[in-house]
Amino acid sequence: MSTETHEPVSRLTDRNPEVVRALSRRYGAGFITDIETDSLPAGLNEDIIRALSALKEEPEWMTEWRLAAYRHWLTMPMPHWAKLKIAPIDFQAISYYAAPKNRPKSLDEVDPKLIETYDKLGVPLHERARLAGVAVDAVFDSVSVGTTFRKELAEAGVIFCSMSEAIREHPELVRNYLGSVVPAGDNFFAALNSAVFSDGSFVFIPKGVRCPMELSTYFRINAGHTGQFERTLIIAEDGASVSYLEGCTAPMRDENQLHAAVVELVALEKASIKYSTVQNWYPGDENGVGGIYNFVTKRGDCRGDDSKISWTQVETGSAITWKYPSCVLRGDRSVGEFYSVALTHNMQQADTGTKMIHVGRGTRSKIVSKGISAGRSSNAYRGLVKVEKGAEDARNHTQCDSLLIGKKCGAHTFPYMEVKNPSAIVEHEATTSKISDDQLFYCRARGLDQENAVSMIVDGFCKQVFRELPMEFAVEAKKLLEVSLEGAVG
Amino acid sequence: MASAFVQSFAELAPDILAAMPGSGLPWLDAFRRGQLDAFVRDGLPGTRSEAWKYTTLRALERRAFRPGDSDAAIRDVDAACLQLEGVDGPRLVFVHGVFRPDLSTLDDLPPGLTLQPLSQALAEDAEPLRFMLTRGEAQAADAFTRLNAALAGDGMVLRVAGHARIDVPVHLLQVGAPAGEDLAWHARNIVELGEDAALTLVEHHIGTGTHTHLGTQVSDVVLHARAQLAWVVLQEAPDGALLFRHDRLRLDADAQARVHALELGGALVRHEFDAELRGEGARLDTRGAFLPGGRQHIETRLDIRHLARHTASDALWRGVADKRGRGVFHGAITVAEGADGTDAALSNKNLLLSPHAEIDTQPVLEIYADEVMAAHGATVGQFDERSLFYLRSRGIPADAARTLLTLAFCRAALDDIGNEVLREHLGKRLAARLPADGETA
Repeated sequence: MSTETHEPVSRLTDRNPEVVRALSRRYGAGFITDIETDSLPAGLNEDIIRALSALKEEPEWMTEWRLAAYRHWLTMPMPHWAKLKIAPIDFQAISYYAAPKNRPKSLDEVDPKLIETYDKLGVPLHERARLAGVAVDAVFDSVSVGTTFRKELAEAGVIFCSMSEAIREHPELVRNYLGSVVPAGDNFFAALNSAVFSDGSFVFIPKGVRCPMELSTYFRINAGHTGQFERTLIIAEDGASVSYLEGCTAPMRDENQLHAAVVELVALEKASIKYSTVQNWYPGDENGVGGIYNFVTKRGDCRGDDSKISWTQVETGSAITWKYPSCVLRGDRSVGEFYSVALTHNMQQADTGTKMIHVGRGTRSKIVSKGISAGRSSNAYRGLVKVEKGAEDARNHTQCDSLLIGKKCGAHTFPYMEVKNPSAIVEHEATTSKISDDQLFYCRARGLDQENAVSMIVDGFCKQVFRELPMEFAVEAKKLLEVSLEGAVG
Repeated sequence: MASAFVQSFAELAPDILAAMPGSGLPWLDAFRRGQLDAFVRDGLPGTRSEAWKYTTLRALERRAFRPGDSDAAIRDVDAACLQLEGVDGPRLVFVHGVFRPDLSTLDDLPPGLTLQPLSQALAEDAEPLRFMLTRGEAQAADAFTRLNAALAGDGMVLRVAGHARIDVPVHLLQVGAPAGEDLAWHARNIVELGEDAALTLVEHHIGTGTHTHLGTQVSDVVLHARAQLAWVVLQEAPDGALLFRHDRLRLDADAQARVHALELGGALVRHEFDAELRGEGARLDTRGAFLPGGRQHIETRLDIRHLARHTASDALWRGVADKRGRGVFHGAITVAEGADGTDAALSNKNLLLSPHAEIDTQPVLEIYADEVMAAHGATVGQFDERSLFYLRSRGIPADAARTLLTLAFCRAALDDIGNEVLREHLGKRLAARLPADGETA
């Protein structure tokens, strides 16, 4: 039994054409869209930032904000504390702006090639696909190419548009909230993002409004030698609620492309924001060549009493994933949640987790993290639960499980707990194990083949997280996991 | 500009080094010099350094200490306080890191047991100690380990011959005594158990009167195949003392170690415990409780490495922080590639008794093998209200009920000490530490 479990993939592929096929279709989103792009020359300096800002027709204050962030970034060293092996990044070799040449005025004018791209990725941009009932903002390289359902949303008072548009049309809102959760100098990559962010989504849900549909952004990196630096800002006013999804893919290339985004969430009194991510950036090949560096700062601020922010992430892509979606629980009785499935295979690396900062009274947080490592990958959970002095009756429960598939991978857990209030209850549990031979044997005795058996066990392992995803995403996430794990077990 | 702390060692060191036991041996002189230079060059770690994130040394940097104590051999020590209930075997007493034959009992050692101070071993034949003493050179040692390597001239050298099972516990005492000024003392212990050997070691840190000295102790412990070590540590340094201990344990095939530590004293205490399970079937159990109160800062760092197949480790630690005390716990378990069949578990539960106390805990798992069962759990909280209610409904006053629950909470870490008398004694020391009736916040 066990010899079969650990049979090297290469030997299997030699004789099993089905596995050969399965392996070759592993990354379905790896195609390149042949489309003319406008891009800024590679390099980073104040002139590039001014040019970028001018291209986007930004007001003076925005340009200055970017420049201040850039000057701060220059003073910061690249951080190295994570359990990651990162090849040096040449920030001067990246083009910080790439956009399809023909800028559409409305969705109907969007280049059909782009629509086709999103269709291929299963994202409903086109009119006929609108039955899906999800409003989509599609970000292609550095710009948003289209946002659906704008009229319907506007009737409800919801603003859902690209960040560039928001800066032009709602400057007072942007100015008020941008950088208020993740300051421009927060960390190395946040500072870089603040200087060069090109687009992203802006969501504003006014007082008392329950957003009538799911909102989503689909990020696509297409052009080579570029990075994607988007910035998302979601504001839910008193009593408002919204569910937001993001998905990401990129073509298969030999180079490592940088994706350094910043996401800021603000929840005022009794507001609730649910943020779900299915991240499927190109992970690189089995030898670790190419793939996206996904270095993202995501933070939610439960600013009002009784507010709630919930992060759900399914991370299957990227050569390196390095992010910690966090919640600052400032309002009394505010709630933070983090549900994560992170899967690494081949040479992928992940150092991900969350931070829950309890400031207000009666704040609660819950963390469920499931890590799956296969191949020669490394998968780390790193999380901080901090209970400040004034956070009376704070509660946290953290559950971190790791599943190992294969002998050459690593699974690590680095939780930090800092408690300064005696009425707090903070609990952390973690386990690491492999899929047991007993479980596999049981499934196979019931007629499942090895691959299906593994996939079923993994699915059960992740169920607690998938349950938190909106239904369409849960189905996608499950499929992604199956595809990503193909070839992991011989 | 070096801090006052570093300066106090840099300036006085040359003559101190020349007067140390073992001085004159070229390899030892070179090693000590190298370690001291490295210490002076790098200074003390800051909180930006991950391993020192929760322990700031800023206050220490401003203080100066006299390296070594020339009067250690004649300092007045009350012999009565050296007794420990249930521990009546051979005893080695060190005052400020210097061996005190007048206070020690080394007569009638059981067959198979070699026990002598390091100073004496160095004078007799230093060569067999060379490997152990200089092995720190290869490792990236921290500031206090370096300081110890450079300046520790004495300590305990304990060897148990193969197949010898020593049935009396060996008692090691590190004693601090009041002196005119703040002293820095250092002790270096070497313990080696041969194949199939067995030993109980009781390590006791005490002070006669109050003092604010700084002490460092580095212990290297090697257990050869099938050796068994029971190691109990009772740390009752005076409340102003600073104590940095670093234990390095190596277990060969089927060796077993059971470690119990009760951390009660000191103003700033850091205990690093590194263990390598290098032989198949090795097993390590660590248990302990730390109780920072007052303004105490007590840190325990475990680094348990499973390097061979079918090794097992189990760690159970309890922390209770009261007043303005701060407890820091770091428990890392690493399972190396190829260490299949490893079974590792770690639990750290903590109680916060005061609004000014703080607990920082960090259980870590690093797993590089797949046939592994590894789990850890950590909690920080306060009393279970239902237990408290139950006790009160039985007529026990609230304060007494709290003390009772705290005691039970910590006792879990001491309950499986084999020596019953010693276990009860530790229980009493623990109870004495807990807030008395009516004192609880």
